[in-house]
Amino acid sequence: MKAAAFDYIKAQSVPEVLALMSKHGDDARLIAGGQTLLATLNMRLSEPQLLIDITQLAELNGIELSGEHLWIGALVTHTEIENSPLIQKYAPILGAAAPHIAHRAIRNLGTWGGSLVYGDPAAEWPACSLAVNATMVLRGLQGERRVLAADFFVDLYTTALAPDEILMGTEIPLANTKQVFSFQELARRHGDYAIAGLAAVAQKTGQTLTACNFAFFSIATTPVLAKKAQAIVNGQILSTELIAAGVAMARSEIETMDDITNSAAAKTHLVGVLLERALKTMLAE
Amino acid sequence: MELNGEQLIAASVPDVWRGLNDVAILGKAIPGCEAIERISSEEVHAKVMFKIGPVRARFAGKLFLSDVVDEKSCSMAFEGSGGAAGFAKGRSRVELSSAEGGTLVSYTTEASIGGKLGQIGGRLISASAKKIADDFFQAFAKELDPTAKQMLDGGAT
Repeated sequence: MKAAAFDYIKAQSVPEVLALMSKHGDDARLIAGGQTLLATLNMRLSEPQLLIDITQLAELNGIELSGEHLWIGALVTHTEIENSPLIQKYAPILGAAAPHIAHRAIRNLGTWGGSLVYGDPAAEWPACSLAVNATMVLRGLQGERRVLAADFFVDLYTTALAPDEILMGTEIPLANTKQVFSFQELARRHGDYAIAGLAAVAQKTGQTLTACNFAFFSIATTPVLAKKAQAIVNGQILSTELIAAGVAMARSEIETMDDITNSAAAKTHLVGVLLERALKTMLAE
Repeated sequence: MELNGEQLIAASVPDVWRGLNDVAILGKAIPGCEAIERISSEEVHAKVMFKIGPVRARFAGKLFLSDVVDEKSCSMAFEGSGGAAGFAKGRSRVELSSAEGGTLVSYTTEASIGGKLGQIGGRLISASAKKIADDFFQAFAKELDPTAKQMLDGGAT
């Protein structure tokens, strides 16, 4: 099928985008990589009057060191993240997660920001942004504001981004030499949506993990941090018993939701399987 | 797809029953409702803009009530057509019971969704349905509770 007719504007500046969004409201949609939106348009599951192309906006581009943070612009593609030496050094879990996203052709076009604001509960980037304590930089006509990833993913396909705001990019605290991580994803075939996944990041001293973030995805309506399991593991020597206690807590604290092929009970089981694998991987590093 | 759940609403059973039968209140509470009209005591027609994630689909739907026991329970059959996007049809049963702090609304729903929406949306269709149900009851409770509504209106100005 083909999309219904729409107008198209290639925006030249952020203020222009904000003005267009304010004028057209829900009749306008931003387009960057288009890997979700274009499929939706072609299936006529959505018929916006206007597409605002934001790919020319240099401010939304680039992976850069800026002070204490690593800046990832909203327009950075999955492939750019996969290949970036800065990501390897300062946010390595993103480099490990990138190959799991769909297929090469999609990774070449789909963007970091697009995935974050879409907020698909099965997507890798929302969970990774939680795991690395990313801060979303949002801009609207009223100015700029910053929202922590932990406060950004509100509900199914619903984020803290207001209808008249755009995501400029994210700031990520730089990984130090003590950072360990594990990215785990189960999918029926490579490139499929995950049945369940986990982005785990922590600081490691000897056999002890601190500052743990265990961000699960594809198990509920948003990515979810296993806060109680994190509290059990934090600051204790990572013994077999502690791993078992953390796994049990993660299974009991996370309210999983079924999808078309997997029951909630299966997802709860997998939450524990993934956490056990991740903890053992981080212990062995 | 099945969707079962219950919601506690801070209002008396007669008030909740009246609300559920008042198309003006339903029209405000149903997410994306653009028009709603009672055709007869058993039949309601509605137009709803289904809006979730990137999807925007306008559904024209019909609702048929049966087994109505006043202030207690009823069954509903519904069918909706979203044009190119697909269709939905199913049955739902709603029961009210008095509970501490208000009225407990229990519902069981069986629905099938077909067409393109069913093919693509299948992965998250239950999650989407649950979100719509949650949004509905939240808005419905606000419509019934005048103080909450006042606070909401006050917050918006």
